[in-house]
Amino acid sequence: MADPRPIAHEEHLATHHAHGMRYVVVWIALLVLTVVTYAASRVHLPGGWHVAVALLIAIAKGALVALFFMHLWDQRGANRLIFVTSLAFVALLIGLTILDNATRFPLANPPGSAGALPWGGADRDPPKLPQ
Amino acid sequence: MQASPLAHHFENIEKQSHAERLGMWLFLASEVLLFTALFAAYAVYRYLYSDAFAEASRAIETWFGLVNTIILVTSSFTVALGLNEAVKGNGKKTGLWFAVSVAFAIAFLALKAVEYSHHFQEGQLPGRYYSFHELQAPGASLFFSLYFLITGLHGVHVIVGMTILAVVGVKAARGKYTAAYHTPVELAGLYWHLVDLIWIFVFPLIYLV
Repeated sequence: MADPRPIAHEEHLATHHAHGMRYVVVWIALLVLTVVTYAASRVHLPGGWHVAVALLIAIAKGALVALFFMHLWDQRGANRLIFVTSLAFVALLIGLTILDNATRFPLANPPGSAGALPWGGADRDPPKLPQ
Repeated sequence: MQASPLAHHFENIEKQSHAERLGMWLFLASEVLLFTALFAAYAVYRYLYSDAFAEASRAIETWFGLVNTIILVTSSFTVALGLNEAVKGNGKKTGLWFAVSVAFAIAFLALKAVEYSHHFQEGQLPGRYYSFHELQAPGASLFFSLYFLITGLHGVHVIVGMTILAVVGVKAARGKYTAAYHTPVELAGLYWHLVDLIWIFVFPLIYLV
């Protein structure tokens, strides 16, 4: 470690400073981003970009809350590690689930959904199995 | 005279605060994963029924979500200001800021209740109770199932969070915490910020897609 001071002491120092102005700046930034994400959902964007833009803004807002309101910016060590680990599991859980769904063959998807057989397609007589 | 906040199994208050904060972060990480499960379900059905989800999202009033986002973000700010006062040892002002935050939380829930009653009237309900005539596509009722699950679970967290804020706020106003030891104020704030953090992701996914 570059810093020889113990973690508990570091945290103790960091959390005993007042952060009044910093909170005001973060609050204004959050309000601006909220209005921006609303405005972005009203303008026309090519398919798929709406979700990407909305999620990017949400990640930026979430980062502001986690880093400054929740003081991850000031803290060191284990607390940051726990949060980052939980984010890694979020990515795994959602990423692998989407991959699974994106690579299914048509019969595995419910009728009427994307990637399913066309309507009536599954109702045809099943092929005769050899006796 | 008040009892020392230091529990007998800790060497000093610094180590106790560190352990308390660490425990809170572990709990918050498990909360994140609880909501992630619902977001994963949302991702699956949004992928399978993207058109129905887009139409169902347009069928609900965006301004409810927008106003509630602003309310929650602002309440997070007032909670942070409360901690700011606790750091300086002004317990009374901490109590005041937490009271303002609880008022915002009540405003949030009130608006949510109005919104829910609107859904009930329209028949925008989950599963077989879905009777919204303007949108009859496969997957539409699934959107509302997830809508009620996600916003309902979030609402429960709002109720828990505002209860914690109220209890800690009253204790702070009574001078239970000092500039040297105010970890409960910090942990109550952490929980509330997480409730805000989750809503920051709920808002675009439910209202804006």
